[in-house]
Amino acid sequence: MAGLIFSRQARGQFAAIAFVRWRLFVNSLRTIRGRLELVSRGLIFLGFATLGLGGSFAMGAGAWYFASHGRAELLALLLWPVFLFWQLFPVMASAFTENMDSSNLLRFPLSFPSYFLIRIAYGSLDPAMAVGGLWLLGMAIGIGVARPAYFVVALAILLLFAIFNILLGQMIFTWVERWLARRRSREILGVAFLVVIVSFQFVGPFMRHFGPALGPAVTHVTAQALPIERMLPPGLAAAAVARALQGEYILALSAFALSGAYALAVGWLLTVRLRAQYLGENLSEAVARAARPGAKQKIQVGWNIEGVPGSVSAVVEKEFRYLSRSGPMLFTLVMPVVVLLIFRFTPGKSDNPGGILAHASDLAFPVGAGYALLILSNLVYNCFGPDAAGIQFFFVSPVRFREILLGKNLAAGFVLAAEIVLVWLATCLMYRPPSWDVVLATVTGVFFALLLNLIGGNFLAVFAPKKVDLGAFGRQRASNITAFASLGIQAAVVGLCALALLVARAYQHIWVAAIIFVFLAAGALAAYFLVLDRMDAIILKRREVMIAELCKA
Amino acid sequence: MDSPAISAAPAIATEHLTRRFGDLVAVQDVNLRVAPGQFFGFLGPNGAGKSTTIKMLTGLLAASSGRMEILGVDLAQNSVEVKRQIGVVPEGMALFGRLTGSEYLNFVGRMYGLDRVTAAKRTAELLDFMQLVDQPKTLVTDYSHGMQKKLALAAAVIHGPKILFLDEPFEGVDAIASNTLKAMLQSMIARGATIFLTSHVLEIVERLCSHVAIIHRGQLVAQGSLEELRAGVQAQAAAAALTASGTEGVTVASPGEKLTLEEIFLRIVGGTRRADQELSWLG
Repeated sequence: MAGLIFSRQARGQFAAIAFVRWRLFVNSLRTIRGRLELVSRGLIFLGFATLGLGGSFAMGAGAWYFASHGRAELLALLLWPVFLFWQLFPVMASAFTENMDSSNLLRFPLSFPSYFLIRIAYGSLDPAMAVGGLWLLGMAIGIGVARPAYFVVALAILLLFAIFNILLGQMIFTWVERWLARRRSREILGVAFLVVIVSFQFVGPFMRHFGPALGPAVTHVTAQALPIERMLPPGLAAAAVARALQGEYILALSAFALSGAYALAVGWLLTVRLRAQYLGENLSEAVARAARPGAKQKIQVGWNIEGVPGSVSAVVEKEFRYLSRSGPMLFTLVMPVVVLLIFRFTPGKSDNPGGILAHASDLAFPVGAGYALLILSNLVYNCFGPDAAGIQFFFVSPVRFREILLGKNLAAGFVLAAEIVLVWLATCLMYRPPSWDVVLATVTGVFFALLLNLIGGNFLAVFAPKKVDLGAFGRQRASNITAFASLGIQAAVVGLCALALLVARAYQHIWVAAIIFVFLAAGALAAYFLVLDRMDAIILKRREVMIAELCKA
Repeated sequence: MDSPAISAAPAIATEHLTRRFGDLVAVQDVNLRVAPGQFFGFLGPNGAGKSTTIKMLTGLLAASSGRMEILGVDLAQNSVEVKRQIGVVPEGMALFGRLTGSEYLNFVGRMYGLDRVTAAKRTAELLDFMQLVDQPKTLVTDYSHGMQKKLALAAAVIHGPKILFLDEPFEGVDAIASNTLKAMLQSMIARGATIFLTSHVLEIVERLCSHVAIIHRGQLVAQGSLEELRAGVQAQAAAAALTASGTEGVTVASPGEKLTLEEIFLRIVGGTRRADQELSWLG
């Protein structure tokens, strides 16, 4: 196999693929947008570098402590987070990674070992690999500092653990790839994934809330689970290091061999799937559903919103239909209520049974409403993204972009209004009904903030559009430029709101803030319509870039 | 080879239409005349400027210079009025993937100013005509390519446009869907609409179109009815044969021989290849 992988032809193929990747990167810099994206990526890289190096230092310190204090078996406490991060992060942060569709390579005369290697190599080029690798390196160094003679041993064990993680991530991806090819499956998985992520948020508050009652049960379950944990890769890697440090080389070797067996098993499962793909099975191609004969359709008339033109009503209806079919997006829209629920179960300093906001329950409604607005910015800042090739229709239709954007913004406004009602109800049920002046200040403040977000969002939707599929999870974020610009907008909104609240505090009446917000909102409303009137001209100038970006395959 | 002066006001007229992309002149000084009621085929080799021209005519792309008039209305001055009168099936089909077929047509109808009831009624009729009624809950994104083409055409005609612009409407469409599309286009022509289409399938263009224009390297090299183009090519070939008798590669159609559109096209754009030109490594 090694001969095949490193044959002259294989080396040439690897070099050609690397060259293509390089040229794709270089060519992306031809546009201003591409260069701005590079700057954004540079900032994101700094974030990951901090996470990787900081985590590496922390892991190294932890490993040093455990190794030098004769508690090396506790290295599992470090290896489990590494394992979970390595496997979960690629799914959570898939927007940051660019995977090349390696199935396109099948038309070239690649040997299977070369194909396998390319899949692994390019599938692993992501932040999880870099950060996870740095953390493990930090641990190896930490162990090496504590017990220099065992540095190489620790490095070998952790390297095997890294290989296992790489293979596992790829194996899971290839096995679920076929299932994910179906739109409905992607949507279900998207919602399930979000539910799991959100559930993690409840662990801490629930444990603190119900902890004393659950204590014995948790201890019992933990005791039962420990032997199983020791037989799983993170536990085995920790055991291998611990046994080696204790001079029990046979046991260390056994644990190492078991780790190797895991890697081999995962590698074999990955090979089975990749070989099927290599032999022509398209893992991404789901079987199309057959039409149900005779399933006739009842055509419903479109929506009518009083006071706005039919075209605006049609856009609002279209936006709601898109939203109603986006499981992940619908789920994120109930997040404000979930956040209030998390706060409800998070004890405050005085262990008040009413939760962290109990002593200031008037804050619950503004917090929920503010969070609702923040979530909505996903929709507002890239409002043409979900339309994809449909953007062409807007350009050939006789409707001005002023009306199209108004329809999209109205839809966003309706969603926010519904969310605020939901948050108010949740606040009443979980805490207590907020006072009228808090409600007034919150509603006017959110309205003002919404207008600022719509103004900024409409510009960003035109200047940094990005095609997204609202039904799928991952890769659905707006462009990095939008992400950074939105931070600026939110900072401005928060600053102005804080200023209004400070003035209200000086007068010791929260309704003073509501009055200030009404004036600010009036100004923002005038600015909104002023900008809206100019959007047609701006969009017409940007039409080629927008169409090119949103019609990308 | 321009056609004789068209008496009626043109449905589509361009004057010195030009589009540059940096240093590249994609379309240069194109003067098009399409009379009302014509089934007009706009042909050209890959990269000749067909899609660029149709994009400019439909408002998807700005012209660098020149004028465009649709039904006598200046596109640059009154694009909204022009867009009310035209239907478009652009290259990317302009579909909204996460709507069902009926929702999409309803939406398009209302964007073209139809009232809710009329839009719903026409949606039902179009779905029936296009044989898409068996997919009531299927999202457009899950449609086959042929179904998407049919839906895109249905959307382009829901408001009863006077002119229909079609960019490669038959690309990737099977024979059954193709027949449906052709039937619809022919019925539109019978009712007096004008159709402007680009296509690489010259057999279809020859069968459907009464008039043709050929663009090559951004410039309009021929325009007229099929008969005018045929006569022009034969006259040119005859003249060439007279001036340089025995020249290789120039064949003169014998009197009465009817050149196909493909032959006309190849002669106009010079699509012949040197007989001795070969790739050295191919057996």
